[in-house]
Amino acid sequence: MTLATGNDVELRGVTKRYGPILALDTFSLQVGAGEFFTLLGPSGCGKTTALRSIAGFITLNAGEVFLKGTRVTDLPPHRRRVGMVFQHYALFPHRTVAQNVAFGLRMQKVPKGEIADRVEKTLALVQLPRYAGRFPRQLSGGEQQRVALARALVTRPTVLLLDEPLGALDKKLRERMQVELKRLQREVGITTIYVTHDQEEALTMSDRIAVMQSGRIEQVGTPLEIYECPQSAFVADFIGNINLLRGTVIGHAEHQAAVDCRGAKLRIGALPGAVAPEAVMALRPEKVRLNPSEPLDNDLAATVVHLVYLGDSVLYHLRSDEGIELQALELAQAGGVRHQAGTRVRVGWRSEDASLLPLTSSPLPRGERLGEGG
Amino acid sequence: MPRGVGRGAEPPSEEISEGPRLWVRLALLLPFTAILALFFTVPLVLMAVISLSRQSFARFEWALTFKNYVRFFSDPFYVGVLWDTLWLGFLVTAAALLLGYPLAYHLARTRTRWKPVLLVFILSPLLVGIVIRCYGWMILLADRGLINGTLIEGGWISRPLPLMYNQFGVGLALVHVFLPFMVLSLTGVIKRIDPALLEASMTLGASPARAFWEVTLPLSLPGILAGSLLVFSLAISSFVVPILLGGFKVYVLPIIVYEQILSVFDWPFGAANAFILLLISLGIITGYIKVAERALRGLV
Ligand SMILES: Nc1ncnc2c1ncn2[C@@H]1O[C@H](COP(=O)(O)OP(=O)(O)OP(=O)(O)O)[C@@H](O)[C@H]1O
Ligand SMILES: [Mg+2]
Repeated sequence: MTLATGNDVELRGVTKRYGPILALDTFSLQVGAGEFFTLLGPSGCGKTTALRSIAGFITLNAGEVFLKGTRVTDLPPHRRRVGMVFQHYALFPHRTVAQNVAFGLRMQKVPKGEIADRVEKTLALVQLPRYAGRFPRQLSGGEQQRVALARALVTRPTVLLLDEPLGALDKKLRERMQVELKRLQREVGITTIYVTHDQEEALTMSDRIAVMQSGRIEQVGTPLEIYECPQSAFVADFIGNINLLRGTVIGHAEHQAAVDCRGAKLRIGALPGAVAPEAVMALRPEKVRLNPSEPLDNDLAATVVHLVYLGDSVLYHLRSDEGIELQALELAQAGGVRHQAGTRVRVGWRSEDASLLPLTSSPLPRGERLGEGG
Repeated sequence: MPRGVGRGAEPPSEEISEGPRLWVRLALLLPFTAILALFFTVPLVLMAVISLSRQSFARFEWALTFKNYVRFFSDPFYVGVLWDTLWLGFLVTAAALLLGYPLAYHLARTRTRWKPVLLVFILSPLLVGIVIRCYGWMILLADRGLINGTLIEGGWISRPLPLMYNQFGVGLALVHVFLPFMVLSLTGVIKRIDPALLEASMTLGASPARAFWEVTLPLSLPGILAGSLLVFSLAISSFVVPILLGGFKVYVLPIIVYEQILSVFDWPFGAANAFILLLISLGIITGYIKVAERALRGLV
C-alpha cells in the first residue's frame, strides 16, 4: 500500500503500552527527506521506544508507521531497510571490521566484487580505511562508533536511526564525533533520526528537534525556535538553563504584560497567545544584567547569594529583596569575578527578553524551581 | 563471505594482555596442581607402567613390553569395542547438543520468575542416583515395560520394540543424565550474547533464522565446544549405564577394563585398555579443539 506523504518517516498516532506505562501516547511525527531530526527528552520519556517502533522491534497498540510513504506497520525489521546505530555499537565480535560492514550487503545478496568495493569506500568515508582486518575488540570506542556507522550506512537505508550513539564516549571525543557525524550526514544526505537526552548535542546537530515528555511531543521546531521561543515551561527548562518565575498576570496589552511576582511588578514582552491569570515568566540567565549602566524595564535590588565560576563565564545565584530567586550568567571579565557573594547588586532585564508561558500541569524536569518566584 | 576484503592493507595489531604477575599466577595454581599430581598423575603413571608389564599366573612382573597393546589392536573384537565406544560417545554428544540447545536458549533468554524451578527440572537427572535412574529407564524400556506393554496391550504392535539391551537404550539413558552439562555450558554462553547484536543483524536485513545462523550460533560456539567436550568424555568413560541398560550386549571399553581387572585379574591388559581409551579420546578432543579454535578466532 502506498500513500504519498512526501516524508521519509511518518508516525501517526502511535501508542505503545507496557502494562500501566504509556511509553508512547498517540505519538505523531513527520521527518522530511535528508533531515537531521532529534528526539530529545528526559530519561524514560519514550525516545528509544519511538525509534524502535520505526525500526520494527515493537508491536504497537495503535497507530501507523510509514517509510517513504509506504505503510510498514506490520513489516518485520529485516524488511524495513532502516539503518540503526546502537548505544553500545552492537558490532559483531566474531567478525572483522570489513565483515561487519559487509554484513548488510551480504544479506542483500550484492555481488562479491561490489561488496568489497562498497565496504572499502564506506570505511574511507568514516575515516577508517586501514582497519578492515581488525576485530571490534581491537578498536577504541570512537573507532567502534565509526564502524557501526559505516555498517548502517553502507546499505543505503531509507533512514538512519541513532540511539544515543555518543553516550559511551568521553566529552572531548563526543564533541569531535558530533562534528564528524554531522559532516557525514550532510555528505551522504541521509534522513536521520537521532535520540539524545543531551540538549546541547541536540541544539548543535539538528535541523529540527522534538522535545518529548511522557510519551508525547511537547514541541517541535528548529533549535533556534526551541531555544528562543519555548512554548511550555517544560521545554524552556529542559533546553538550557532558565529562570522560571510563577506569578499572577495583573494586566496585559498586545505585546506587553505585567506580572505580579511576590509583590514585584515584572514586565514581559513576548506573549504566545491567550494569557491565563496564573502564568510562568521565563528568562534566560544570560539575559539578566547586573548593575546595568542604563535603567532597564525591569529593575530589582538583590543580593548575590552564591556564585559558580565556570571558566569562561560566571553564574550568579541572586535573591531579590522581595525574595525572588534568579540566576544570571555573565561572561568572565579580564579581572575575573565582578561581584563576590554577599554583595548588593541591581538586577535588570529588558521586557522583550522575558516570555510568558502557560502554567503546565506536567511536572518540570527540575520541578522545585518553578515555585521559587511565588 | 567477504573474508578477503581489505586483507593485507595492514596486519592486525598486536594485542597485549595485562594479567597478574607470574608468581601470583603460580601461587594460585599450586593447591589444585598439588592435588592433581598426588591423586591423578601418580596413579596415571603407575597405570602406564603396569600396562607395559607382563602377567604370569595371576601375578604381574615388571617388564617393558608392548605386548598388551599389540594384543588389543590385533584382535578385531577389542578394536570393534573401541569403535563402538567412540561412536556411542559421538551419538550421545550430538543428541545432547540438539536437545540441549533450544532448552539452553530458552533458559538464557526467559524472564519468567519460574527460572529457578526450570533449573531444578534441568538438573533433576543429576539429583537421582545412577542405579535408580537406570531402573527407572528399565521400567519404561523393557520388553514388558511400560512402553512396549502399552503398545502391545493396545494392539499397535505384536512384538516388543527393541528399546533396551542395545545402543539405543544406553544412549537414551546417557543423554538423559548428561543433558544438564550441555545445557549449563550453553546457557552461560548464550546469556552473554548481547540481544542488540540480533537486532543489529535484523536491521541489516537478516531474517530471524538468518540472524540465528550468522550471529547466535557462531557466538555460542564456546558453549557448544565446552558442552560437547564434557558430554563426550563423560559418555565414553561411562560404565554403570552401559552395564545396566546394555545388559552386556553393548560392550564399551570401560566394561572391558572392569572385566579385565576385576574378573580376569589381568591388570596389565586392563591398564592397557584404559590407556588406549585415554589416549584416543585425548587425541579426538585435541583435534576438536584445534578445529574449534579456528572457528572461534575473534570470539574470545
Ligand atoms: N520492554 C519494556 N517493558 C516494560 N516497560 C518498558 C519497556 N521498554 C520501555 N519501557 C518503559 O517505557 C518507557 C519509555 O522507555 P524508553 O526506553 O523509550 O525511554 P527513553 O526515552 O529511551 O529513556 P532513556 O533516555 O533512559 O533511554 C519507560 O518508562 C520504560 O520504563
Ligand atoms: Mg533510551
